[in-house]
Amino acid sequence: MSNKIGVFVCHCGINIAQMVDVKELVEYAKRLDGVAVSKDYKYMCSDVGAKLIKSSIKKDKLDGVVIACCSPRMHEHTFRGVVEDGGINAFNLEIANIREQCSWAHDDKEGATQKAKSLVRGAVAKARLLEPLEKSKINVTPNALVVGGGIAGIQSALDIAEKGHKVYLVEKTPSLGGRMAQLDKTFPTLDCSGCILTPKMMEAANHPNIELLSYSEVIEVQGSIGNYNVKIKKKARYVDFDKCTGCGDCIDACRMKGHVPSDFDENIGKRSAIYMPFPQAVPLKCTVDPDYCLMLTKGKCGTGPLCIKACEAGAIDFKQKDEEIEIKVGVIVVATGYDLMNPESIYEYGYSKSLDVITSLQMERFINSSGPTTGDILRPSNGEKPKSITYILCVGSRDETENPWCCRIGCMSALKQMYLLKEKLGDEVELNICYMDIRSFGKGYEEFYRKIRGMNTNFFRGRPSEVRPDGDKLNIDIFDTTTNKLFEIKTDLVVLVPALVARLDANDFARILRISQSADGFYLEAHPKLRPVDTFTNGIFIAGCCQAPKDIQDSVAQASGAASRATNILSKKELEAEPLVSCVDEDLCSGCGTCISVCSYNAIELVEDKDGKKRAKVNEALCMGCGACAASCPSGAMQQKGFKDKQLKPMIEETL
Amino acid sequence: MKYALYPGCVMPTEQYAYEMSIREILPRLDFELIDLKNFSCCGEPIKSVNQMLTLTLSARNIAIAEKEGLDIFAPCPMCHLALSEAKRILDTDSEMKKRVNEKLSDEELEYTGNSDILSILDVLYDKIGVEKIKNAVKKPFKNIKAATHYGCHLIRPSEIGRSDDSENPQKMEEILKSIGINTEYYPEKLDCCGGLLTANLPESALTKTGQKLQKVQEYGFDLFVDVCPWCHRQYDSKQTKAGETVATKLDVPVFYLTQLIGMSMSISNNKLGLEMNLSPINKISGGNK
Repeated sequence: MSNKIGVFVCHCGINIAQMVDVKELVEYAKRLDGVAVSKDYKYMCSDVGAKLIKSSIKKDKLDGVVIACCSPRMHEHTFRGVVEDGGINAFNLEIANIREQCSWAHDDKEGATQKAKSLVRGAVAKARLLEPLEKSKINVTPNALVVGGGIAGIQSALDIAEKGHKVYLVEKTPSLGGRMAQLDKTFPTLDCSGCILTPKMMEAANHPNIELLSYSEVIEVQGSIGNYNVKIKKKARYVDFDKCTGCGDCIDACRMKGHVPSDFDENIGKRSAIYMPFPQAVPLKCTVDPDYCLMLTKGKCGTGPLCIKACEAGAIDFKQKDEEIEIKVGVIVVATGYDLMNPESIYEYGYSKSLDVITSLQMERFINSSGPTTGDILRPSNGEKPKSITYILCVGSRDETENPWCCRIGCMSALKQMYLLKEKLGDEVELNICYMDIRSFGKGYEEFYRKIRGMNTNFFRGRPSEVRPDGDKLNIDIFDTTTNKLFEIKTDLVVLVPALVARLDANDFARILRISQSADGFYLEAHPKLRPVDTFTNGIFIAGCCQAPKDIQDSVAQASGAASRATNILSKKELEAEPLVSCVDEDLCSGCGTCISVCSYNAIELVEDKDGKKRAKVNEALCMGCGACAASCPSGAMQQKGFKDKQLKPMIEETL
Repeated sequence: MKYALYPGCVMPTEQYAYEMSIREILPRLDFELIDLKNFSCCGEPIKSVNQMLTLTLSARNIAIAEKEGLDIFAPCPMCHLALSEAKRILDTDSEMKKRVNEKLSDEELEYTGNSDILSILDVLYDKIGVEKIKNAVKKPFKNIKAATHYGCHLIRPSEIGRSDDSENPQKMEEILKSIGINTEYYPEKLDCCGGLLTANLPESALTKTGQKLQKVQEYGFDLFVDVCPWCHRQYDSKQTKAGETVATKLDVPVFYLTQLIGMSMSISNNKLGLEMNLSPINKISGGNK
């Protein structure tokens, strides 16, 4: 209970003062119950304003403070510090928002002043009933988990490890590398993707602070910032990790050699059932594909598995089982990447009708010298060199019926491939590109675009209506909006540049992590401008394309940002927990469990007392103070500290 | 199942075979057709001149069926489009509904939105179902490969909800399979018949028709199947002329889907109006090549 309250009214320059009579408000506040002193100042959030509040607390021996100013979202945090410096509990502070909810919203000064008085009266009523709250301390486990071993995950892991923290780097597939490992060269500098990526992969795998968990998946996450308990499934490789030398003899020996579609090659090449996704794989170990291996699907392989015969190290072990491990970490960086939209859903573009309609990522595997054609560009239908290649951009991107967003890399990746194709096939090859707008926004991108435009290429601005097979050719009708003419393109190979979409399992994984997604399925940042790598779940950060489509440059920058934000937490021994959490009045709680069903953070559990009665119990470390449980509780047993019914109801009464 | 048959204009004035075959096969599939008096034009042909009149005419026809508590079956895809579009506008725009109902009140009619508008594919595929058709077949076709033609109105525009996917329609394929006819994708499957160009560009109209049939013939299809009286007029009645525009002797049997179903049920040719088909349908005899 406070009965010596100070009311401090801010002019906010003229933002408040021009619509609210501040002097009148100050005089009014002085007469309110429990108010000892009332003052105003031009900028209460300035240093001078802070000193005014602090000296007043001391001089007038205040035990509560009301500040009438802008929204608590702006400066509540600052003012809590000021009040605490002044010598009273930080939570004996109440903000009356007379800017956003009063002066900015009205144009009648007299009415606005009346409303400001109501707001201050309500705030004082609440301030009289506020209780001091103590911030509890949480110990921090100084380890990090990075999920996803693409370039973003690798960069984050390296940055955190360099700061001296232990990092668990979990990758779902058998090797680090992610999407970047599938690419041939990168735009706009035409660096060889593998050449700049492989050293990073090696560095991550060999870093003393990084424990690489490849071919593993995160299956459960419990706990909260500073202390997450994570369950990880290490999938069985059916190969003894320590014995395998990565020689690849088993791959050549496999009976299924040349029969298993290679997902790393976007299904254009075939591999064996025992495989390494690509020659520079890290770790350099073989893995048995359980969906195709005859031993694992049929229980026998001819007269006996040839891989076992071929393996001199004796590393192959069909008895291996999946393994579960548990780790403790303080923070999690999510870098799970993206999926390409399956262009079959746009039937008219012919992806399911003709073998000669491919995706840009498939083209990347054709161009790549370690790809299934060792770098030769061949039409999948007949294995001949194409004389004409046509790109279609924005396949499912910027399309209201599919995905309204821009994929951000489609234009540049197509331009880059066109450059590489000219290099490989010479000037005889006809290169067409159907585009809506060329978005070459990054550093050096526009220059690269100009270079391609200067080459012998055909740019058509428009969206083709259809890719139509015609004999062994493909026909495209396109209305070019720059010349207002209909063009009929006859081509050998069509390359679709599909939309970038959230991972197929993005929803499931978001639920495991308890992080939010935006409407497009990508993981949601806490603030689009000011907290771009934080999530709404404290201690979990996002980097790379799991947040939104982006290029390698942006992914790496974001990954370093996420690592830096993560180490802010890891570098502290302990954290202060926000005390505005829920609490239970055990006498009122009937143990109905409604609160548990609405809690998004698993922060409430039912416990039995010694009489066998069930009561809700709040885990304060997990509670985020959202208030959902308090609002849903039928008996009023669930209350939120700082926002209890007995504090809010008098406030409402006074305000009205 | 009782439904009001909305015949439109083209079918009862010229494309009798479509109506005859419909009236033969549907009752045998427990789909009872009710004839109502006073139906008028659906309004679609004058839409470019007077949209309000089109809307009012469509609403009027729907209101006549609503008064009897019946859903409407409109075999002509163009009528089906006009009625469906009107329904969509009137069900979402209460102001427009009020204006239209004011006009309809002269005849003591009111559009309420209670009746559904069904196309031939809605009826055969969604209401009756492929399984039921299959069970009614007496003599399935054998060794026949058909080219399907959906026409534009039946599948577009997709925003207002049409009878099948606008880019990859498959219902006709499924129905044909149930009577023993094979189908195959061909690139020109969704091409326009050209019929709507007839009034101002008759030559271009026939060229569109000819180009499509030429390809169908080239690919070796045994027959061509459609569900729209406008399209059928192009492909069947005007086939010879259309062939001249692409300098090809066209020789493609063209059937209504409902005629083929009737044939598989062993209904006699004259009841299905087959003698009115002008294309060389004798190449295909009931149930066999």
